[in-house]
Amino acid sequence: MQPKRWFLMFCATAAALVLALMAFNYVTDPFGAFGDRFFQWFSYDETNNPRVAKVSYLQQHHEEYDSYVIGCSSSSSLPTEALNELYDASFYNMIMYGADMADCEKIANYLLDNYQVENLVLNIEISDGASYNTESDPLTYGLHHLEDPDLPALTYYTRYLLANPRYGYAKLQSLETDTILPQSFDVFDEKTGTYDKRVRDVEPIGNLETYLAAYSDFTTLDQSGTVGLYQTENCMKSVAAIRDACAAKGVNFVVMTAPIYGAYFNKYQPGSVENFYTQLAQVTPYWDFSCSSLSWEPRYFYDATHFRNCVGEMMVARMAGDDSVWMPDDFGVYVTADNVSDHLAGSLTAQPMDAAENSAQVPILMYHHIVEEDDGSGSVTVDQFRAQMDALLDAGYTTVSLQELADYVNHGGDLPEKPVAITFDDGYASNYELAYPILRERNMKATIFVIGVSVGKDTYKDTDHAMTPHFSYEQAAEMVSSGLISVQSHTYDMHQWAPYESGDQVRENILPLAGESETDYVAALTEDFTTSRDLLEAATGEPVTALAFPTGLYTTLTSAVLRDLGVEVTLSTNPGVNTVVRGLPQSLCAMLRIGVNSETTVDALLASLQP
Amino acid sequence: MAFTSWEFLLLTAGAAVVYYLLHRHTQWPVLLAASLIFYAAGGLGAMVWLFAIAAVTWGAGLVLERMNDARKALSKGDKAGQQRIKRRKKAVVAVTAVLCFGLVYVMKYWNTTVALFPAAVEQILPRWDFLMPLGLSFFTFQSVGYVIDVYRSKYAAQRNPAKYLLFVSFFPQMVQGPIGRYDALAPQLLARRSVDWRMVDRGIQLAMWGYFKKMVIADRAAVVVNTVIGENCPYGGAVIFVGILAYSIQLYCDFSGGIDITRGVAQIFGIDMAENFLRPIFATSLADYWRRWHVSLGHWMRDYLFYPLSLSKPFAKLGKWGRRHLGGLPGKILATSAATFVVYLVIGIWHGVNFRYFVYGIWNGSLITISMLMEHRFLAWKQALHINDKSRGYHFFTMARTWLIVLFGRYIGSSPRLLVALSLMATTILHPVPSQLWDGTLLQLGITGTDWAIIGLGTAVVLAVETFQERGGKVRETLERQNGFVQWLAIAVPLIVILLLGVFRAGYISSSFIYGQY
Amino acid sequence: MKEKIIQIMSEICPGVDFATETALIDDGLVDSLDIVNIVTELMDVFDVEINVEDLLPENFNSVDAIAQLIEQLQE
Repeated sequence: MQPKRWFLMFCATAAALVLALMAFNYVTDPFGAFGDRFFQWFSYDETNNPRVAKVSYLQQHHEEYDSYVIGCSSSSSLPTEALNELYDASFYNMIMYGADMADCEKIANYLLDNYQVENLVLNIEISDGASYNTESDPLTYGLHHLEDPDLPALTYYTRYLLANPRYGYAKLQSLETDTILPQSFDVFDEKTGTYDKRVRDVEPIGNLETYLAAYSDFTTLDQSGTVGLYQTENCMKSVAAIRDACAAKGVNFVVMTAPIYGAYFNKYQPGSVENFYTQLAQVTPYWDFSCSSLSWEPRYFYDATHFRNCVGEMMVARMAGDDSVWMPDDFGVYVTADNVSDHLAGSLTAQPMDAAENSAQVPILMYHHIVEEDDGSGSVTVDQFRAQMDALLDAGYTTVSLQELADYVNHGGDLPEKPVAITFDDGYASNYELAYPILRERNMKATIFVIGVSVGKDTYKDTDHAMTPHFSYEQAAEMVSSGLISVQSHTYDMHQWAPYESGDQVRENILPLAGESETDYVAALTEDFTTSRDLLEAATGEPVTALAFPTGLYTTLTSAVLRDLGVEVTLSTNPGVNTVVRGLPQSLCAMLRIGVNSETTVDALLASLQP
Repeated sequence: MAFTSWEFLLLTAGAAVVYYLLHRHTQWPVLLAASLIFYAAGGLGAMVWLFAIAAVTWGAGLVLERMNDARKALSKGDKAGQQRIKRRKKAVVAVTAVLCFGLVYVMKYWNTTVALFPAAVEQILPRWDFLMPLGLSFFTFQSVGYVIDVYRSKYAAQRNPAKYLLFVSFFPQMVQGPIGRYDALAPQLLARRSVDWRMVDRGIQLAMWGYFKKMVIADRAAVVVNTVIGENCPYGGAVIFVGILAYSIQLYCDFSGGIDITRGVAQIFGIDMAENFLRPIFATSLADYWRRWHVSLGHWMRDYLFYPLSLSKPFAKLGKWGRRHLGGLPGKILATSAATFVVYLVIGIWHGVNFRYFVYGIWNGSLITISMLMEHRFLAWKQALHINDKSRGYHFFTMARTWLIVLFGRYIGSSPRLLVALSLMATTILHPVPSQLWDGTLLQLGITGTDWAIIGLGTAVVLAVETFQERGGKVRETLERQNGFVQWLAIAVPLIVILLLGVFRAGYISSSFIYGQY
Repeated sequence: MKEKIIQIMSEICPGVDFATETALIDDGLVDSLDIVNIVTELMDVFDVEINVEDLLPENFNSVDAIAQLIEQLQE
């Protein structure tokens, strides 16, 4: 080959490679830098770089919103629906993990200059006094060039067009493994801009030790008291700038400080935290949620700097003056320059709540079939059951319904001193014939979980196989009208008996079938539960908000779907005593139950109720 | 400006275009402009030192030339006059050397030297922190070499300061040499040439080879080295040995890769710079190793330190003393051995002012002296054991022997302190723990299994190419004889490998890692 | 003279056929260390002054070349 031709071939090849790289990065767009035209998977892009991807998203969707939340990641769990109601607006949560106040100022200016903004909620975290305008990886921490007046568009485009193709490749790989529930690569909810916490919002939470063991973040915090808040002044300058920009445009400016786990503050130099909040009060009044007795309860947090969605509900309720949502009395104070020193004197020295104040130990007993005489099947006999109920009363226990538990958690209701819940699974006729009279005599409450297809039947579904009889809808209605019995769901037809089933796919429990796609499973589960609920509610008039998992098995997706369908309480078959926590719906997830059979003695029963 | 930056590529391409567009005019100012831009990109402050060294050595060259002319004007019999001029010339060279090497020493080693003194003295002395000018050691040696050459009347001094500055600051050599000779390099720099596409192509190919070695192999191996070699190394001897091997691979691929980029870029401008590596893995003795490793430094030491030193009066006297009192072979080589020690000590200090480099120098000097002394005995042993020293087996034996000696030296070179080196060596021999080689420890050193495979494959490719070259093969010539498709593959494959496995090797941060912190 | 040269060189570089080799430097048979040892011997034996500038490959590639150099210096 002629040397000159080799040279031209070299240049052409090199140019082609660079162009191929640019094309690959443009098409995959793992940071949303170009608007993610081909995949529109903003939840993924925002996880790589929320600063860039959210602006790209808004460029395409800003007409749907008229109000914004800005701040670093601790602003995430503010419930958009509740905010919309409070301000009669349409909010988008612009949170960006790791954003400092310099970023927030740029973002605020960008929003105010380009979009319609009625309300701007700014969340400030104490770490904003420590870092300001810090240098970091441009690809993942850089701002969108529209947001950042210091970033030329050319630099921005070359940065993302010539980025490492591994990012784009990782996005393609993640597409393959994408599931309905969020994974570590797509943590955002696109529509609201908040973190998608559906997985952590259905995790069963019980006692504190177990929670701390699972999440070591709370016990491994820096407690040295040596970190300085040297950027407090810069932070406040930016806050003032945002305040003034909002005032100039007539935008409703609301400032808040998010709840943070109490021990987190111990890393800062003494006095610096007080100084930070005092400075803030001089610049603008704000809602202080950061220091109160709630801050010392780890279970209200996903980790040391991120409060749970349920706490977010409390925050908005406080701002709205809504009393129907339970929260600690000292949670949420509107701070101004006048009351800041008084407020800080109390809030910075807030003590943890007494365990008795916000939690209760609740054992749940699990029965199935009751028999007249011991027939060797393991079922509890009528005499045993009667003796057990008497023993409970003698020992000072008071039965509660699951609705009372839900009220305790969500609405500030009270529980008796020694609560216990009695449950029956499957809905056998013996519950109506033998157990119900005993309970009624003693004015004791219980909850029965019925299998929809078996209600009122003594043969298996539409076959001739004989089956232990189950009580009917009329009998259920009768029990419910007594005010003592609650009839809830054990699924409609997801507790099948394989030997009697003809198909090859048997649903013995609520788990997905082998090889079943997520969409199919969600559809099947939704239909099953809706059927179960509608039939029960039509018959008894009582809302169905609880479900016991057949055989106790379930997946995270199961819990998430049921939660969306309005189920507040789910129960497993794992043994133990439950710790129910005020304001923490997760303490009603996959609750523990103590199984009772014919071998259970009264003493053993009473012993198992001890936490 | 790093070789591996887009800016460097743009500078090279831009300068080449302008250079060849001006092929009917004076072209060397383009090279000078590009060199100054390159150097300025590293900070304007550092340029002061570049100009200082260039000015001093250029001035010395002119002064020496005048003295040379004066000497020629003297009559043949005027011995006194000749001696007078000779003394003056020596003084000029001495002052220049002291100024230049003194500057290098102060800038590189002042603080370390101060730290060697007892605390009381240390407190009085000031600490000087300098931003090291890029390639200071290299261009200083190159410039002093020029001065000594003019002293030896090898060629006429360069009167034009800009042309001389180009010799000192030609941008490809500023990072790590090679240390060039004025009579070889300057004429090429100053010549006028039209574009020779074959040279341009070969330059590009050589540079690609350099980028491959540096970015794909060396940068990967570096991760292992940083994890394993150091104080408080928690690994067993086998892993340490792997770390030393990785260090050897990294050192060679990084240094020779950088030199390939240097020479490749120069070839794009039609300029052939000195070789610096001649396939050191095939060295059959330590002396042979030093003839293949950092060749331009070795030649500089030979021509400007070793020869003058060993032929100087003090060493001649030492030689006479040796011949009279020691007798035999030892007596004959005493002076040269002493000079050898000096050379290797200087090479040691070139690397750093630390006791371990002193030991490194002694180690090399001793081995070479011993092998000189034992040469007759080795020959006798070979005859007694009927070893055919021309056989492949013996040849391999000599290579393996050299590898071990060099690896030993690598322990010293890679460790931060001599004690660390000794402790690593001890662990290698006493606590090998070979099981760590297959129980997954190797995957916890910072690189993945794929990375190890890439290092292995890359090293194999380099070995294959060097074996071909050792046997006299010429890679680029052979490539030119292949068909078009093969030649295109030889462009596309390296470019893709360099891009995907080199440029984009690191710098990937997974989102779950970032997000996890929040 | 040539025999003396060969004798000197063989003592310092055993195993090399100095009589016939013509690329002693270029082929690496005699390295820089050997050169200096040989040169100091030659200076001693033939009473000439060999300078660094004379240490060029062409002057030492063969025994003939060395002999020629010494003759030049003796003038």
